[in-house]
Amino acid sequence: MRYVGQRILFSILSLCVLLFITFLLSHVVSGDPAIVAAGPNAGADKIAAVRQEMGLDRPLLVQFWIYCSNILHGDLGTSWFTRQPIASDIIRELPPSLELVFVAMVINLAVSLPLGLLTARYAGTTFDDVVRLVVMAGAGLPIFWLAIILQQVVAGQWRLLPTAGRLGFENRDFTGATGFTLLDSLMQGRFDVFADALAHLVLPAFALTLLFTAVGVRITRTAMMGEFRKDYVVLARAKGASEGRIMVRHVFANGATPALTVFGMQFGWMLGATVLVEEIFGRPGIGRYAVKAVTQSDIHAVVAVVFVVGLVFLISNLVVDIALFLLTPRKHAGA
Amino acid sequence: MRSRARFIPVLVAALSGVSSLAIAAPTGTLVIAENETPENLDPANATNSTVDELLLGAYDALVQFPAGETAVSPRLAKSWTISEDGLTYTFTLRDDVVFHDGSKLTAADVKFTLDRLKAAKANVLNDIGPLSGAEVVDDHTVKLTLSKPFGPFLSALSRIYVVNKALVEPHMAEDNARQWLAVNEAGSGPYVIASYNPTEAVSLKAFDKYWGGWDGNHVAEVVFRYITEPSTQLSLLKSGEVQIAPDITVEDKLALMKEPGYVVDVGQAATPLYFDFNTASKGPTGNPKFREMLAKTFDRQLHLDQVLMGLGTLPDGPLPTSWPGHESGTELAFDLAGAKKMVDDNGWAGTTLTVRYLPAIQEEKSAVEQLQSNLAEIGITLNAEGMTWPAQAATVQKVDTTADINMIYSFPPFPDPHAILNASFNSALTGSNGGYNWAQYSNKEVDALLNEAASSADPAKRAELYKKAQVLIGKDFAVITVSYPGSVVAVSDKVEGYKYNAAHHQTFNIMDIGLK
Repeated sequence: MRYVGQRILFSILSLCVLLFITFLLSHVVSGDPAIVAAGPNAGADKIAAVRQEMGLDRPLLVQFWIYCSNILHGDLGTSWFTRQPIASDIIRELPPSLELVFVAMVINLAVSLPLGLLTARYAGTTFDDVVRLVVMAGAGLPIFWLAIILQQVVAGQWRLLPTAGRLGFENRDFTGATGFTLLDSLMQGRFDVFADALAHLVLPAFALTLLFTAVGVRITRTAMMGEFRKDYVVLARAKGASEGRIMVRHVFANGATPALTVFGMQFGWMLGATVLVEEIFGRPGIGRYAVKAVTQSDIHAVVAVVFVVGLVFLISNLVVDIALFLLTPRKHAGA
Repeated sequence: MRSRARFIPVLVAALSGVSSLAIAAPTGTLVIAENETPENLDPANATNSTVDELLLGAYDALVQFPAGETAVSPRLAKSWTISEDGLTYTFTLRDDVVFHDGSKLTAADVKFTLDRLKAAKANVLNDIGPLSGAEVVDDHTVKLTLSKPFGPFLSALSRIYVVNKALVEPHMAEDNARQWLAVNEAGSGPYVIASYNPTEAVSLKAFDKYWGGWDGNHVAEVVFRYITEPSTQLSLLKSGEVQIAPDITVEDKLALMKEPGYVVDVGQAATPLYFDFNTASKGPTGNPKFREMLAKTFDRQLHLDQVLMGLGTLPDGPLPTSWPGHESGTELAFDLAGAKKMVDDNGWAGTTLTVRYLPAIQEEKSAVEQLQSNLAEIGITLNAEGMTWPAQAATVQKVDTTADINMIYSFPPFPDPHAILNASFNSALTGSNGGYNWAQYSNKEVDALLNEAASSADPAKRAELYKKAQVLIGKDFAVITVSYPGSVVAVSDKVEGYKYNAAHHQTFNIMDIGLK
């Protein structure tokens, strides 16, 4: 349990550093938010009044101190542009993005793990070479470019999947308790809405995941390669265990640790990358919210988004770390 | 198979399914693609077009600019009188207007609206001049008073949307109802905001008790879908999922002009793009002679042909040529040889200048590139610094940090010379005073002309004053007017009644639109 405690403490510290850097950076690069907030033709007096109202006339460290103490009370501040508590804005925007990342992650794992395992088993064969070639090509494709191509071809020309949005036109008024459309539709027994939401998720999730999957396949392969050379595999083969059993029960179970650590991090990275996909597929989400906040110098909203994405990143890492610790406690005994 | 059918655009089915029995009932759904998401729904922010385009449907103002017109006409106000001294405006309101909750709109709502905007330091009041107060005379008469005469007062009132006092007042205590009105609506307009998901879509549904009635062809629902990517907007237009796509690329718009099924509307927008020279600079642009040379170095015709692909109007000075008060020939024509001669005569070769602009806007980027290459030809180096809007706006707050040249559009909130000339050239609104006069231009004579024109209610006299001001501004070489880009919008040919409205740039006249 000491290990878990250490991990949590370390995560909280990382988050504080992240907060401070983001806060500092957004103040330095964002010009004068008061000018934007005061609107066109405002005049110096009004801008000064708005600046004061926004608290921007105070020293930076004081602003940061106030901000941190608010966060400790669960208050992420009020957006100067949406005029809503930023926490409630994020609660609205996060589910569609998380849903996209979940689906992307499912595709990622479903492709990376088997392909990684198989290429490790058949390393050096033509199969391995072909997969490596495809994976390298995939890793080189920029997400936004892939997204546009998929949209233009699969949705635009072939009409197999929807072009944009979260739901089809006839379901545009669908709402649910959690904001996760897949979950809400199942809870309400609306399987038609579920299918619709899933169809709208396929292309964006695929575009989002390809780059990560390429990395995933390579990482899994490397991790598994080492296992195949170990004595226990030779022993298992000698005992006459089937090749499938060796791969799944022995190699995979033992070699998955480093790969899973990477997948844990990928979850957070994906959330940060959703913006590229959301803009192209016209989906709501935290990425689009962040872009709007950045262009308007809505500092508190920007910092809050970074905070939340960082939080998700840390949590997903923590979950993986703890899961691995519980699965293979020996490896961490010295920590 | 049910799920398969969902992938096929359903709009056609939705439209044809509506019965033709109802007389003068709005029918069908109009979907408009919009690349920028709205910040909120508060009428205090009606200065912002992404907010204004939603409020135009949900609210009414005392007066209005119908699409295509440059004069105000009645809306909530049936008629009005202006006192001799120009300080008191008395409006007689319609008595048949109801808010979306069914309650009657009265003079008390108008007074409350203005009082609230003042208390909330609303952005929309930046343009309304010296308004001092509102007074309820009786249920249908309201008196607005000014501290000094303001010629464009009626025009400016076209963006003051009247809110339902009974609904808003309970939310005033904390923040002047800012938070509440940001996501709730309290209007009397033709459409009710049915759902508001600002990063996804906003839906407006026809209000059956609208005082204007529903004679003619109107739509029952208007959906704004927030689609940033131009290629996505095009795909959705082609698949029939949206009927109006304003933000597709110029190339695609030109291609659609030749394609059956689409109409590409080119609205005569009044949003000039300027190169503002830092006239207060201690550097080279502080010298009027040097600015005279610079004023000859930009080819507006080339920009219109190559960058705007002909979709715009050739500028002739800082005001749109069709506006009252426009004066012709106040800016120098493109003459690079003449500029070169001035550079040689004065030994200016080797000078280095800086221009700041928004690289996210293709038109600004292309204009900067042209200026860079022209100046290079005559021995002047132009450094281009791309910025974001808030960062660029911050640099002009001091003369010392203002670049030699800044690019800026003027977005007049109403079609009146005041809205462009005063904001861009009055010394009270220089960048260092928090305004959009980024040339830091200060000429007492020009100030006097602009102020006199602003305080007059006589259109002929005002036009004369603005003409004189333009001549003086031209002689000081404060800016190059780069272009009047057209407002180019791709529309499905199933849509009828769309018309560009210069008084509400980048919005849509949804009330006039019907589907064929």
